Amino acid sequence: MPTLVMPRRYGAMNWRGLWTLCLKDLHRARKNFRYSVLGPVVSNLLFLIVFAMAQGRGGVYVGDLTFLQFLVPGLVIFAVCETAYSTSSESLLFDKMEGIIADTLMAPLTPTELTAGYACSSAMMGLITGAAVAVPMLFVVHLPIASLPLILFFAAGGALMHGLLGIIVGLWAERWDHHAAAMTFIVIPFGFLSGTFYSVASLPALAESVARLNPVFYVIDGFRAGSTGHADGSAITGAVVVTLVVLALAACAHRLFRIGYKLKP
Amino acid sequence: MSGHPAADRAIPQVRHFGAVNWIGLWTLYCREVRRFVKVATQTVLAPLVTTLLYLAIFVLAIGDPAHKIGDVPFQSFLAPGLIMMAMAQNAFANTSSSIMISKIQGNIVDTLMPPLSPGELTCGFALGGMTRGLAVGFVMWGAMTFLVPVGAHDLLFVLFHAVAASLMLSLLGIIGGIWSEKFDHLAAVTNFIITPFAFLSGTFYSIGGLPPFWHGVAHLNPFFYMIDGFRYGFTGHADGSLTAGLFVLTIVDILLWALAYRMFARGYRLKA
Repeated sequence: MPTLVMPRRYGAMNWRGLWTLCLKDLHRARKNFRYSVLGPVVSNLLFLIVFAMAQGRGGVYVGDLTFLQFLVPGLVIFAVCETAYSTSSESLLFDKMEGIIADTLMAPLTPTELTAGYACSSAMMGLITGAAVAVPMLFVVHLPIASLPLILFFAAGGALMHGLLGIIVGLWAERWDHHAAAMTFIVIPFGFLSGTFYSVASLPALAESVARLNPVFYVIDGFRAGSTGHADGSAITGAVVVTLVVLALAACAHRLFRIGYKLKP
Repeated sequence: MSGHPAADRAIPQVRHFGAVNWIGLWTLYCREVRRFVKVATQTVLAPLVTTLLYLAIFVLAIGDPAHKIGDVPFQSFLAPGLIMMAMAQNAFANTSSSIMISKIQGNIVDTLMPPLSPGELTCGFALGGMTRGLAVGFVMWGAMTFLVPVGAHDLLFVLFHAVAASLMLSLLGIIGGIWSEKFDHLAAVTNFIITPFAFLSGTFYSIGGLPPFWHGVAHLNPFFYMIDGFRYGFTGHADGSLTAGLFVLTIVDILLWALAYRMFARGYRLKA
């Protein structure tokens, strides 16, 4: 007699489902690694070379750091954020366009597990890409590492923040245009203008106070404080802002999954 | 008094055309142009925003007012390079994405079945991409004049290099689009060939500052001549020989045209 197949029982969290959802996006990124990992590595190395060449012979200093020491953490954390964002948004939008999002929605995953699964896989991809971007740069530029906990906290915080933002955009977007527009008009300007490449202290007063309202500024600044000791803002404020923004975005993504926003009729 | 309305009409005849199927060529060109105009937010506005961001970050990060290249202020040096880079990337993106998407979706047959010769196919795609490059360049130039003093030293040089460079990248896009079999391949061409060439050929810095070896290498790079000559047209500052640039760009355009033509003629990765 064959044993009867029974429904699987689990407690408050479907851990296996959550892990499977996580693996799905990691496998997808691995299959497109030229695009998802090597692309950012090459483009960020190009940025490094171009800035090194363009600063001229005299060199530019930011505080006591050489310009390249200042630049490398900015490039690395921005690569983390950008990759985290595009992993979740592209995964959701692709599945929606192809109609295979049903496979994810049919699985016994609660909105919490969906949010956590997409956020974790995209944050992991962000961190992997960030590490891949950082390693070759560290051969060329010496960084006086100041605090490993700060580096890890702000890298994880930035990755989660952008992974969650990617979920929200991925759910909202109906076509690739929408996704690309959010990338070009929101994510990249926010990152580029928040101190990836320059110290916000060098901005005019008004622009500086605007930059300080931007959570991405705290991610970049905190990460740079950890890796070089140079900070434009306070690490405590940064930690609080990043935590609050991550929680708010998580709540928003959770709610969108729960009401089935643009997912279920 | 005839029974059937169709009987009143003349029977359609096979259309005859001479050496060039002008209607077909024009139709292909219009399709290529409408393709990007329809999503102008992505194809014109987005590059504009990205380029202005580059301008902002370079000027804020390293552009202190004393920083000059030759006798040209850094901003005025940078602006033509950025315009040229955007033109190059967009001319490439137009043809490569058009062919790639058609191949993936299978509707490339709609382009291969009509009576278009390889010459007409090459020409239609190439001019479409060139139009996108020039349109992006023109919009960019208009926006930059508000922010940076962009003079015009010699408009003929500006025009020649804008056309030759857009054509070159548009032809490269055809070749890349035909060669690629999936998006990942095309992303590799863009990330590992087009972007590095566009970045490292003097867009952001004068190659006069390079070590001698790389200085020599830069002179073998057609991307360098297109940026250098274009910049000369605006600022009067050139790092390399302008005559050499005119020759190199013309020859490269002819060679790429011949290669694209040959790919269409053989049906390389297009026909079974």
